[in-house]
Amino acid sequence: MTPFTPHRVLLTGVSNPLGAEVARRLAPQVPMLFGCDVADPVSALEEMDFVHADTRLSVIGKLVRQLHIDTVVHLAVMVDPAHDDRSVHETDVIGTMNVLVGCAAPSSPVRRLIVKSGQAIYGAGPNDPSFFSEDMTNWDRIATGVTRDLLEMEQLVSEFALRNELCGVTVLRLGLRVSEDTSLARYLSLPIVPTFTGFDPRLQLLHEDDAADAVVRAVVGDHAGVFNVAGDGVVLLSQAIGIMGGTAAPVLPPYGRWVSRLALRMIAGVDMPAHLADIISFGSVMDCSRLESAFGWRPVYSSREAMDALALGKQAELIEAPSPPQEYELQVYLQQRRRRQHQLTASRN
Amino acid sequence: MIAESTREERRRNSRKAEIVAPRPGFRLPKPVRRLQRQAPMYALQAVSALSVRLRELAGRDVIDLDRIMEVVQFIYQQRELAHRGPNYAVDDFGFDPQFTESFLGVFKALYRDYWRVETTGVEHVPATGRALLVANHAGVLPWDGTMIKTAVFAEHSHPRHIRALVASQFMGMPVMSWFLRRTGQAVGHPDDTRRLLERDELVLVFPEGTRGTGKGFKDRYRLRRFGRGGFVSTAIRAQAPIIPISVVGSEEIYPMLGDLSPLARLFGLPYFPVTPFWPWLGPLGMIPLPSKWRIQFHPPVEVAHLPAKAAEDQHLVMALADDVRDTIQRGVYDNLKLRRGVFL
Repeated sequence: MTPFTPHRVLLTGVSNPLGAEVARRLAPQVPMLFGCDVADPVSALEEMDFVHADTRLSVIGKLVRQLHIDTVVHLAVMVDPAHDDRSVHETDVIGTMNVLVGCAAPSSPVRRLIVKSGQAIYGAGPNDPSFFSEDMTNWDRIATGVTRDLLEMEQLVSEFALRNELCGVTVLRLGLRVSEDTSLARYLSLPIVPTFTGFDPRLQLLHEDDAADAVVRAVVGDHAGVFNVAGDGVVLLSQAIGIMGGTAAPVLPPYGRWVSRLALRMIAGVDMPAHLADIISFGSVMDCSRLESAFGWRPVYSSREAMDALALGKQAELIEAPSPPQEYELQVYLQQRRRRQHQLTASRN
Repeated sequence: MIAESTREERRRNSRKAEIVAPRPGFRLPKPVRRLQRQAPMYALQAVSALSVRLRELAGRDVIDLDRIMEVVQFIYQQRELAHRGPNYAVDDFGFDPQFTESFLGVFKALYRDYWRVETTGVEHVPATGRALLVANHAGVLPWDGTMIKTAVFAEHSHPRHIRALVASQFMGMPVMSWFLRRTGQAVGHPDDTRRLLERDELVLVFPEGTRGTGKGFKDRYRLRRFGRGGFVSTAIRAQAPIIPISVVGSEEIYPMLGDLSPLARLFGLPYFPVTPFWPWLGPLGMIPLPSKWRIQFHPPVEVAHLPAKAAEDQHLVMALADDVRDTIQRGVYDNLKLRRGVFL
């Protein structure tokens, strides 16, 4: 049997920064690239055909059949939502279900499926081991928020993988990312960072470049299975706050995280998602040895370097002089940003 | 940042350093400031001169300069810790050697002067490579683990850090959660034990767990059940020798008369002890009594010749666990006989 190479790739969720980066890197490597999302892409890419499509609707199955997609990269999964609300469940569980149904149709052309998942699936608690291997998902945990949604989602994916032996399924559990728009990065960027009294957990981080690289390698290579993806080493929460130049304020009480989250929302207007509250009190670290042995590759940035990169980005916003092919993308990006800021000010007024 | 290559470029791009104005406000005169800076050195010189004089007068050491230097070292280590900022590395378990070693001065003082620990058989601990240390557990607070760590660091020819395994409920307690990890402890989970042993570390386990620390004073020096022998199967899988350790003296530091379990349940503790001093004297009741301690390291039990399949053999595992438990219990009785009195 000849090894399978992806020809017609469908990328869901291309409008989030990770999706855009993956699309940019995949475009020269595959003959046909299609992207779909509900929002406009942040940067225009000539090699990619963009479709407005919602993964929560059955249109995704029609797309797969009409376009003869052989590889689906499902990145429209919220692994680090800013709020715990219904839309996370809708996107993660219902959206993934639709994508799986679309891929599982009889005589489906799909031969490879890559699903994004997150470190939040393990949750974080005092009884957990120091490192999570891929088989340590805790089904008995009374899971809340995004942990429960991701558990439910991965259950659907594993059922799909059992039923469709022709389709190789890769699940990438991406570590906590600290690019500008993740909840952890926003939390660490505060000038005074409220922490839980008497807790200083270990954090394991993943740089955005490595996340995109891992997805691209999963598409091009043949690695079925579940993989943890995160940087080497750990950073303590106090170290991370120090690197960002903030001050740790141990003001949140050590017991009753639910109450302090409620108080933060009522008094300070800050909505701290449950998985973030668990991580900044107990921390969670994954064991990525399976990724290393299967992919023959490990993330370039260690946790500490990812943290340093965020701190550096905070000091100076570096915009390099655009080379001519990127000029158009930059213009689109700046226009989008202006529009977004305009919308923000309009909604405030 | 790219460094400029030539001297001309450096000169062209360099800027004059800003002249920093002295801070406004009152400053002490320069000789006083210099004296302030050098005061610790002068004090040490004065103390050493005094100790020499006293030795000439009395004919023996009156002031022990080593002890004083240890105190000074401790103060300077703490200052260095406070000034290092976020620029230090911890290992994947969150262990910070510099932080841990800064407390060794205090623990060595407790080891030598307070509990007057006599350690035998420390040469059974390997200088390199992995080993699983198994000890009896007693005393309300885990001072026995601290003293075993200090013993290997103070007495062994190759001082090494020991990584102890703690009950997971301590990881849910404030302060404990980070302090235990920072000083090299890990969760008592088979997976953690395996990982530590695979890194060729010395791993210390207390198979009795909180059943050992929370037992009453009338049950002192009677070992509890040794878990389900999980430590033996982990050692067989990792091919690590098991070194039994008997600790005597830890039972008397907090004579536990009773256990207020409703209060313990309220605070999420494994037990709430009542001793003659706690909780009646408040924080003063947490001061351990100065009992006389003995620690004996027994010859290692080799498991390297056993096949990995033996870890599944429940009969063999339980037999080995019982052997280890018997060795420790016998060592406890032997050392109790060697001890002249509880506080002597």
